Amino acid sequence: MPMQEGIYGLVAEFDTPGDMVRATEAAHHHGYRRMDCYTPYPVEEAAEALHFTKNRVSLICLLGGILGGSTAFLMQTWIAVWSYPLNIAGRPLYSWPAFIIPAYEWTILWAGLSAAFGMLAMNGLPQPYHPLFNAPNFRDGATVDKFFLCLEATDPRFSLVESRAFLESFNPVSVVEVDH
Amino acid sequence: MSDQHQYGSGQADTHGHAHGHKTAVPASLAAPAMVGQWQRRWLILGVVTGLLSLIFLFLGEDGINHFLRAYVVGFMMCFTFMGGGLALLMVQYCSGGKWGLMLRRPLEAMTRTLPLVALMFLPIIFGMKRLYLWAAVSNPVQALKDGVINSAQAHAIAFKRPMLNPTGFIIRSVIYFSIIALYTYLLNKWSVKREQDKAGNYEFWRIKFENLSGFGLVVYAFMLTGPAIDWVMSMDPTWYSSVWGLLFLVGQGYAVLALGILTLLQLSKAEPIKSLFRKTEQMDMGKLAFAFVMLNIYLAFSQFLIIWSGNLPDEIPWYLNRFRGGWGVIITIDFILHWLVPFTLLLSRDLKKNKSKLAWVCRIMIFARCWDLFWLVEPNYPDSARNLHMTPGMAAYFVVPVALISLWFAYYYAQLKSRPLVPVNDPHFDEILEPEHAH
Repeated sequence: MPMQEGIYGLVAEFDTPGDMVRATEAAHHHGYRRMDCYTPYPVEEAAEALHFTKNRVSLICLLGGILGGSTAFLMQTWIAVWSYPLNIAGRPLYSWPAFIIPAYEWTILWAGLSAAFGMLAMNGLPQPYHPLFNAPNFRDGATVDKFFLCLEATDPRFSLVESRAFLESFNPVSVVEVDH
Repeated sequence: MSDQHQYGSGQADTHGHAHGHKTAVPASLAAPAMVGQWQRRWLILGVVTGLLSLIFLFLGEDGINHFLRAYVVGFMMCFTFMGGGLALLMVQYCSGGKWGLMLRRPLEAMTRTLPLVALMFLPIIFGMKRLYLWAAVSNPVQALKDGVINSAQAHAIAFKRPMLNPTGFIIRSVIYFSIIALYTYLLNKWSVKREQDKAGNYEFWRIKFENLSGFGLVVYAFMLTGPAIDWVMSMDPTWYSSVWGLLFLVGQGYAVLALGILTLLQLSKAEPIKSLFRKTEQMDMGKLAFAFVMLNIYLAFSQFLIIWSGNLPDEIPWYLNRFRGGWGVIITIDFILHWLVPFTLLLSRDLKKNKSKLAWVCRIMIFARCWDLFWLVEPNYPDSARNLHMTPGMAAYFVVPVALISLWFAYYYAQLKSRPLVPVNDPHFDEILEPEHAH
């Protein structure tokens, strides 16, 4: 991949999630689409303001859970009934109540792993380099107590002057130009 | 210049937007007129089904016996709402949170149904000999000789006599109601005082309520094992399970949360709840209900698994009485309504946001509790154990619990409308007026 040069976008810093969400809503209303919010903790309303579409992580999680649960149940059935039948206290070989708990555990395990890895596979992580870290205030605040909205330069509506003026109209702490 | 003008208007827009989101305090926090309407409807249903129920008293032994058993199912549902309301009220004082603020008045109204529930208990005392084998049999040795009971029953009744005797039963029941009455009285009295406190004194009240509720929760959780054993488990004197009280405790949380959410969803058709009940709290309550759905199946299944694994002759018949002879169908439906349906539906985020769908899940959850009680109560008796029979008396289950629950609902709505629907002297009140995206 060739080195990308030039400007990545404009990042506005806010003190409260409310201000950031209001700016995001206005930006979306204004026609901006290639933008993103960066917050120290999940702000669900930001996802709404960005008009996040549904993704398939929940489906992957569900499928993982179903597969994990049925695999564990069938494995136990196979072992107990066909592979190594044992008479345990005179119970039938197919003693399903005893299979439930390991099946339940595997449901949780596989649903959890599917959700985590499905999320990583679909959001492009791990990402060792991101241009936003070139902004010093982003490095200091994004994981502590600041809320950021970044308008990306690839957006057709993006213009260095107008977009800056637009962001500044929301009284952010700062608006910083970020290079690639 | 024109661009700048555009941005300027953009700014004005966003500010207007922000102000538009901040909810104004509704003009009146009193219950809307429709609560009175609900009260009348439930009262009419209660009276009609109540009169129909009386028919069973004239249908001979079969009718009277089933009337009383169905009565216990209805009574236990009312007790669940009342006692569970108290437990969840104390939980929300200790945990804090905006969901608790929204649920506080409905929960208080549930606790104040105590006089009605205590009154409903009286017929159980009069019907004790038909409901409880240990009350019917005063001399187990003689009864064994006469072939009325088997040796396991004779042994259990003789051995458990110090606890399972009519006098002890009544004394303990009075103690249970007294403990609940004490906490109900204090929490409701202080709640009024807190609202009248002009100075606010929020910290003072918060600590006062926390101290009462924290200890009260421990007392209540231990106490509930008592009524669960006395009123339901002792119908079969031979059987025992140590998780029984906890099962009822979780069942109370399950039913009360469903009823609380349902109440708020219905109240949200009119002011003041319409503008105060936000999606955020609705979602949170949905998630909490989901947790209770999981906890309930966890306890119910672990009780079954332990007894199934042990496979001992003094424990396993209790389950066999409830699986064989047609009862398998009842427990399968119980499993579907009690766990499968709420679990799969409450997984969905969209459903928890949808008012009418969430309300239907709550109705199913409340119905599932009644269904579960039917499965717990009826197979205790020799005519029903391992035999899901269809005598005329069984029809009592269609009317008697409905009558009791309807009358309870009428009383509950009367209590609900007697106070403002949302407490104001609480910092959370300002928070629920905030727009949803300002954390």
